[in-house]
Amino acid sequence: MMTNAAVGRQRSAKQTMTGFDKVNILMVDDQPGKLLSYEAILAELGENLIKATSGKEALEHLLKTDVAVVLMDVSMPELDGFELADMIRQHPRFQKTAIIFISAIHLTDVDRLKAYARGAVDYISVPVIPDLLRAKVSVFAELHRKAHQLQSLNSELERRVLERTQELRERELEFRTLADSIPQLAWMTKADGQVFWYNQRWYDYTGLAPGEVAASSVRQLLHPDHMDRVLASFESSIETGQPWEETFPLRAENGEYRWFLSRALPIHDVDGKVIRWFGTNTDITGQLRAEQALEDQAELINLASEAIFVRDLPGVITFWSRGSEVVYGWTAQEALGRNVQELLNTRFPESRAIVEAEILEKGYWHGEIRHTTKSGNEIIVASRQALKRDYLGQAQGFLEINRDVTEQKRTENALRASEKTAAMGRLAGTIAHEINNPLEAVKNALFLLKDHASLNPEARAWASMAENELMRISHITKQTLSFYRESQRPTQVSLVQVLDDVTGIHARRIQLAGIVLNKQFECEGLINGYPGEMRQVFLNLIGNAIEAMSDGGILSIRLYPSVDYRNGFRPGFRVSIFDTGSGIDPAHKSRIFEPFFSTKDAKGTGLGLWVTRGIVQKHEGALQFRSFSSEKGAVTCFSVFIPAETKVLRAKMPAQTSVED
Amino acid sequence: MPAAQRAPVASIILCVDDEVTPLTIRKCVLEKAGFHVITAGSAKDALEILRTTNVDLVVSDHLMPEMTGAQLVADVKRMHPTMPFMLLSGVNDLPDGAELADEFLSKLEGPETMIGRVRLLLANPPSSR
Repeated sequence: MMTNAAVGRQRSAKQTMTGFDKVNILMVDDQPGKLLSYEAILAELGENLIKATSGKEALEHLLKTDVAVVLMDVSMPELDGFELADMIRQHPRFQKTAIIFISAIHLTDVDRLKAYARGAVDYISVPVIPDLLRAKVSVFAELHRKAHQLQSLNSELERRVLERTQELRERELEFRTLADSIPQLAWMTKADGQVFWYNQRWYDYTGLAPGEVAASSVRQLLHPDHMDRVLASFESSIETGQPWEETFPLRAENGEYRWFLSRALPIHDVDGKVIRWFGTNTDITGQLRAEQALEDQAELINLASEAIFVRDLPGVITFWSRGSEVVYGWTAQEALGRNVQELLNTRFPESRAIVEAEILEKGYWHGEIRHTTKSGNEIIVASRQALKRDYLGQAQGFLEINRDVTEQKRTENALRASEKTAAMGRLAGTIAHEINNPLEAVKNALFLLKDHASLNPEARAWASMAENELMRISHITKQTLSFYRESQRPTQVSLVQVLDDVTGIHARRIQLAGIVLNKQFECEGLINGYPGEMRQVFLNLIGNAIEAMSDGGILSIRLYPSVDYRNGFRPGFRVSIFDTGSGIDPAHKSRIFEPFFSTKDAKGTGLGLWVTRGIVQKHEGALQFRSFSSEKGAVTCFSVFIPAETKVLRAKMPAQTSVED
Repeated sequence: MPAAQRAPVASIILCVDDEVTPLTIRKCVLEKAGFHVITAGSAKDALEILRTTNVDLVVSDHLMPEMTGAQLVADVKRMHPTMPFMLLSGVNDLPDGAELADEFLSKLEGPETMIGRVRLLLANPPSSR
């Protein structure tokens, strides 16, 4: 059993621990002495004790404060306990207020019943046993407190429900706003894949109004080429519950198709069952176009015949185009990761440091550099180099575009040389032409003078000497002029005929020098050209061969069909003239085609081979020579190629009909 | 004089050139070879002479102002198709129209060659067409 004190202590402890709310206990009795004794008994409950000495006063308290328990004496003068209880009960607010009657008289059972019937909750008889009173009041106070707490819990619950509802409403709004503001098209389907919601962007993109969206609309918007694949894969996801992803074109309002990356995720309920699908379509058209543009650019770079590559600051190759593979012979696999300097043995016109400093300063550099290819050939490239920066503007490496100009350089040099030769030929021709007229007059005058009767033998000798020297001048102008002929018409020339003529002219010299002539003509050798010039070519070459064999030897002349290996394999004829004469001094090899270069001292004009080559070039042919010397002797071969048909000379050919006229 | 003792009648050669000195010297060379030579300073003069005088052969320079030797040969052949015509040139090439001439000779061939060719041409004149 708990003592009173113990109960009180426990309660106060509970009060501090749990936030115990004091309730009001209204004590009604007409005798203040009794009220005092009740107060003393109940004090230890720790509740608020309110004293009223009349029913009226009690009512006033009841109306002002929330009273948990009314303790009242049944017999009071003005308003007895039962009457007061009736009044209290009539008020809806107090219908449940606990009432404990205290009766000083000895009560009958009827009274008791009567008291209960009026809604009294308990009854206590006098003499009042303090513990009993305390226990009864305490029970009702507690009951009231519980009821009160329940009520406040209820209202708290209601408030929370309201809050939650509001929250949900806000969430819903947030979701809509979010769904409408994302750049993607978004949609939701039921578990069976039927769409029940689209975001605003979807309507904006398709141009459909929310009311117009039919179940088949996706079929109308999907590109027909992708329809079956996309629908099948979505159905498969619906069946398996696996996330879905596809890429396909969707038609926009304006009829244009754009590419979308489409993804859908299943949404599960608490039991893990799929209740709907949430999907988004991301427009990747721009991305695809950018990728395409990049691919196109990469393809263009690879199409370029220039070598295009990228190297980092220390010189390591990080990109190597197909053109680079062609120009340098190194494949991308071989070149990537290698140091460009080591791979290509770059030689700049000035020091590499100066060039790179210039690129760093100005951002670019261009010029000609020399590289060595994989096969070991040295090539010249026209190079453009630019500084490569990263997105932060930091120097990252060098972009390099190199064009192989080796062949171009060679051609330019050859062209320059041949232009020089041609210009010189024209000049010489013009001068020679001007010389010819007075030359003839002087020759004729000397002819008249040398046999003149008035001349003594000495004067005649001088005249004869002058005539001989004039012959040399004639020879020079004749050869020079033969190079400068522009008005003559080309005609069909038989190389066999020309070679027979020339060997016929030289027959006496060949015989006198004891030379064995070996002619081997494998074809007629019909070309378009100038017969006189062709004759001169072979007069010079065969004449030189004979001169080189003053003590005899073998002269072989071979004519055969051939092609021009150096010039697109054009068909034509080749004449090879071999002699076993004195050979050509290696020191002279590079000079023999120069004008006025002669090894024959005063005897030669130094124009023979120069003119010969000029004529061959004019016929679009080629002239080469080789000379081998050994202890046993030397063999020299001059080889002349003349194309069967020439563009330049053909254009000058008269029409066939006018020749027959 | 009896015909047998009479020296053969010298052939008459018309020499055409616009330059006086070479023309004169050429005339002397041909005369020395035994020909009778008439000179003309232009193609036009030459045509005038041919209209009035009997000539056995024409030796003409090619490069002349107003009318070239090649043009002259066309006119001469129109008048006298069988008239032997020798075209001289300082250039070795055959100019257009030169194929009408019976002989084309470079001036650089020298006087002996010229005389030889003249004789040859007179001995074998072109037959009429």
